[in-house]
Amino acid sequence: MKKIEVDFDFRQKLNRVPGGEHHNYCYQCGACVPVCPSARYAQGFNPRVIVLAALIGMEDHLIRPDSPIWLCTNCYSCYERCPQDVRPIEVIIALKNMAVKEGKAPEEIAKYSEPIAKTGLSALMAPSVNARRKQLGLDEFWSIPVEEIGKILEDEESD
Amino acid sequence: MAQDKRLKAVPFWGCMIPLKYPQMELALRRTLPNIGVELVDVEGFTCCPDPIYFKARDKFNWLTIAARNLSVAEERGLPVITMCSGCTSTLKEAGFLLAEDPDLLAKVNSRLKRIGRQYSGGATVKHAVTLIRDELGVERVSESVKRPLDGLKVAIHYGCHLLKPSQIMGVDDTDYPSIMEELVQATGATPVTHSEKLLCCGKGCIEADLPLQMVFDIFSSIEASGADCMGLICPTCFSSFDLGQIFIARQRNKEFNIPVIYYFQLLGLAQGLAPEAVGLHLHRVKVDPVLEKMEEVRTRDAE
Repeated sequence: MKKIEVDFDFRQKLNRVPGGEHHNYCYQCGACVPVCPSARYAQGFNPRVIVLAALIGMEDHLIRPDSPIWLCTNCYSCYERCPQDVRPIEVIIALKNMAVKEGKAPEEIAKYSEPIAKTGLSALMAPSVNARRKQLGLDEFWSIPVEEIGKILEDEESD
Repeated sequence: MAQDKRLKAVPFWGCMIPLKYPQMELALRRTLPNIGVELVDVEGFTCCPDPIYFKARDKFNWLTIAARNLSVAEERGLPVITMCSGCTSTLKEAGFLLAEDPDLLAKVNSRLKRIGRQYSGGATVKHAVTLIRDELGVERVSESVKRPLDGLKVAIHYGCHLLKPSQIMGVDDTDYPSIMEELVQATGATPVTHSEKLLCCGKGCIEADLPLQMVFDIFSSIEASGADCMGLICPTCFSSFDLGQIFIARQRNKEFNIPVIYYFQLLGLAQGLAPEAVGLHLHRVKVDPVLEKMEEVRTRDAE
């Protein structure tokens, strides 16, 4: 029989990301699979198998730009169904956080998350926004305290 | 329920509604006062932040920015009313996690100290539809209706983040929800069920083809149900479906032409507002079939 070696260092790292520690509760029942839209639509996506890979500590499989974790639709059906409070979606998000830290995330993550640090918004402030708002009789779009966001995000490791 | 019951709430507009779909803001500002909700706008909110990309980047930063928004709301001592399911998800989950884990709250507060803020767990957040049902009652909505949408068949799309996870959202049964059916019925319209009513809109997936398949299946199921339009409560789902139908027409040569209507636009029509007064002229998929149906029913009833 083939021996599987569990990478406990990887699991310790996962435990330190908020939500990552819940992967330990998984008993592989698979209740998350039939309710998962990505499992229905995407080849190779299975939330139970992702958590299994986390339990074994398959870092190379999970932490890479073309990892199955990026196909999650973030629908929370797995969280809803899980009898063990694994919160599979949150484990997947914790894995994504690890991939971002190691520079192994697809470029969309930076592209769509960077505006928040720069403008405090995730939707783009198109030049026509206020014209449209005026047309509808709405006030101009309000100011966003982006400097506070800057201070929250700067020098992340200092706390 | 008393017809004069009024409720003050702080609107959390987020960024998609005021920047991308201001017609939804317009519809909310016009319809909510008619059912007793007084919006008390406050300064100082930022993006919730978004529960998909920003959370995927760094959950702790996501939580801290959410906690900052909650601290702004907490200062006002009024409930927060959200209009977007994404904002609802972020703010409610952040509140839940910070209540669940005091160490995490302490860590978040040490970061918030940099900007002279603290969060003490005192904010309550509810999506507009939940706040209305819980605090005012669905009958308050019916009482505001002047031109009931009789005969209009509305296929409801719940979306994911209004309901799930129920441990945090606490809105409804996630397999057999009824909140949207009740609110659609209150306008005089008829909610129509369809086989993909509870499917995700797909917008939270990075990959582009997968959501489009989901949109295709959802509209096939609505088409089979005979509904006149889709009714929903989330701007992200709206973008997936309004623009999504255009992509499907181009890529799959299938035109559904099923209008997608934000709930408070439907309510505006029922309250007697003109379609432009709730921004219905701004949709990619033209809403004319809905307006024609309303006219048809009205003419028939008058005869």
